[in-house]
Amino acid sequence: MSTYVALLDGGRREEAIQIRLKGPGLYEVEVGGKVHEVDAFRHDYGTISLIVDHDSYSVQIDQGGTEAKVHIRGSTYPLEILDERRLRMRRAAGKFTVEGKQTLAAPMPGKVVKILAKLGEDLKEGQGVVVIEAMKMENEMKSPKDGKLVELHVVEGQAVEGGTKLAAVE
Amino acid sequence: MSKERSPFRKVLVANRGEIAVRVMRTCREMGLPTVAVYSDADRGSLHVRFADEAVRIGPPPSRESYLGIDRIVAACQATGADAVHPGYGFLSEKAEFARALQAAGITFIGPPASSMDAMGVKTTARKNMQAAGVPTVPGSASPIASESEARAFADGIGYPVMIKAAAGGGGKGMKKCERGEDFQSLWQSARREAVSAFGDDRLYIEKFLDKPRHVEIQVFADDHGHCIYLGERECSVQRRQQKVIEESPSCILDEGLRSAMGQVAVKAAEAVHYRGAGTVEFLVDARRNFYFLEMNTRLQVEHPVTEMCTGLDLVRMQIQVAQGEPLPLRQEEVVRRGHAIEARVYAEDPSRKFMPCPGRISYLRVPNGPGIRDDSGVYTGWVVPQFYDPMISKLLAWAPTREQAIERLKRALAEYTVHGITVNLTYLKEILDHPAFRSGEYDTGFCSRFEKELLSRPDPRYEQVALIAAAVVAFKRDHDEAEAFAARADGQPGWSQWQRIGRSRTLRGSMR
Repeated sequence: MSTYVALLDGGRREEAIQIRLKGPGLYEVEVGGKVHEVDAFRHDYGTISLIVDHDSYSVQIDQGGTEAKVHIRGSTYPLEILDERRLRMRRAAGKFTVEGKQTLAAPMPGKVVKILAKLGEDLKEGQGVVVIEAMKMENEMKSPKDGKLVELHVVEGQAVEGGTKLAAVE
Repeated sequence: MSKERSPFRKVLVANRGEIAVRVMRTCREMGLPTVAVYSDADRGSLHVRFADEAVRIGPPPSRESYLGIDRIVAACQATGADAVHPGYGFLSEKAEFARALQAAGITFIGPPASSMDAMGVKTTARKNMQAAGVPTVPGSASPIASESEARAFADGIGYPVMIKAAAGGGGKGMKKCERGEDFQSLWQSARREAVSAFGDDRLYIEKFLDKPRHVEIQVFADDHGHCIYLGERECSVQRRQQKVIEESPSCILDEGLRSAMGQVAVKAAEAVHYRGAGTVEFLVDARRNFYFLEMNTRLQVEHPVTEMCTGLDLVRMQIQVAQGEPLPLRQEEVVRRGHAIEARVYAEDPSRKFMPCPGRISYLRVPNGPGIRDDSGVYTGWVVPQFYDPMISKLLAWAPTREQAIERLKRALAEYTVHGITVNLTYLKEILDHPAFRSGEYDTGFCSRFEKELLSRPDPRYEQVALIAAAVVAFKRDHDEAEAFAARADGQPGWSQWQRIGRSRTLRGSMR
């Protein structure tokens, strides 16, 4: 038997799932205090036919590492699925917080079209720092907290990749 | 313009993505060879595969590729194309482009350059329309050069005001300003967007009407003195001035208002000696007064809505008219049936403030079935580039009634599968489900007014199924890895790695 933990609502909620292999494609799954008989059949890429007790679901799973977006009957459930070992490592690494230095990273590839704050400037939470243009729309990257702009890694006109460090606020 | 033009030999489509594919489909049906143009970011784009010939026109930024008039003309000359379909956006509303083509002896599938001049700069268009007796929204008579002058004008007519790009269209370079304090940053942002989208930074100001609806009329004119209207499209579901859902018929138009607006639209087109497909956009206020907003001198993104209601192929009609043929039907022959709705599928994440989500589409399955049309420009494996518009597809449903069309579109949205990037499918579904949309009582403020309600919360009934699915997949993966590891550790003699890989490939189709 294996135990997995799903993190929901961006990590604010946890659900444990216990799973036991009963036969080829057949599982016994305990979640939310209930035990279900599950028959899983993988169709093409990312599509799984699940028969849970007697209910039939076509499930789409768009997975990248431990993060997954699960699509069922018109709803999307973004979650993270971890086994016990990964969960322990995650807990050891500490909780999500806006304490201390916060880094602003580019959420997508694009171009820096405007810098709105100066190095050393005092910023309020939600104040614009950098404007990035991607797909012809401008997106203002805002300060995640009250603090001082302690790092600025980009200049106007610079192209950035998704995940590029833009600035840091402390 | 001569009236005895001969049929085209070859059509170059000066665009990319879904609209390039859309135009080429009709060309193929007409037996017309096609030429695609592409930037370096679009080498793998669907439209390049669809065309008979393809020409590279430059690096990814539009200014250095799709907006390069000389590059397009050179591509025509290199391939012997004698006509250009501009699609929408890019050079489609640039009169100088039409003139450059004409000078090179190439036909522009669109209106005469002079009509584009008359309508292209929004402020000139307003003056022309006022002269023709078409009602317009209060605003600045010409573009305003300085920010302080603009601010003074806005203060004068009172907030909220719209800041608009004079060369604009498609919501780019357009900002709604609610308060004087926000004016400076919105003005500058609009200017930057205008430069990057149209290469023209002129802006003007218009009064923002209360609870207006955006209703537009499709018109069509030929070189033989005919001009007809093909009914309306209701486009009031907009987010940041970008249309999201369009439908026809509009819930606020009755036959009387429809023909009144249709006739004004025809008058507007005739006033500028129009030819080809055009759209006259109106704002309709709560008391059902209508005002001219602008004329789009091109095929619109949402043209399939009209195609589904009328059964016509507007691209075919554009080509016929550009070849000098008369319109294939008269006003009284226009038949409109049932109800059509279009939803624009954008690569953006509604839960992260509609952040654009370029990236690789790892899996794509498009909906199908009765009454569904998907005009798409992407495929599994395509990397949606960051340089262009985030729209990847338009999904349409047609049905005999509005209610059935809504249900049909919802059904199709649920069938739509896009992996690897985030798309706005659940947002579209929430709009279709919203009581204000259902009732038909909505205006252009719909998306911002119901912003929070439209952010979908997943149905709690299926959350446990989602957890089961994710856990089963993780378990299966970990289990297979453990087995493979154990098998390697055993070092089973007689079983080579090749055999093992072959066996696992064969079995991969099932979870069994």
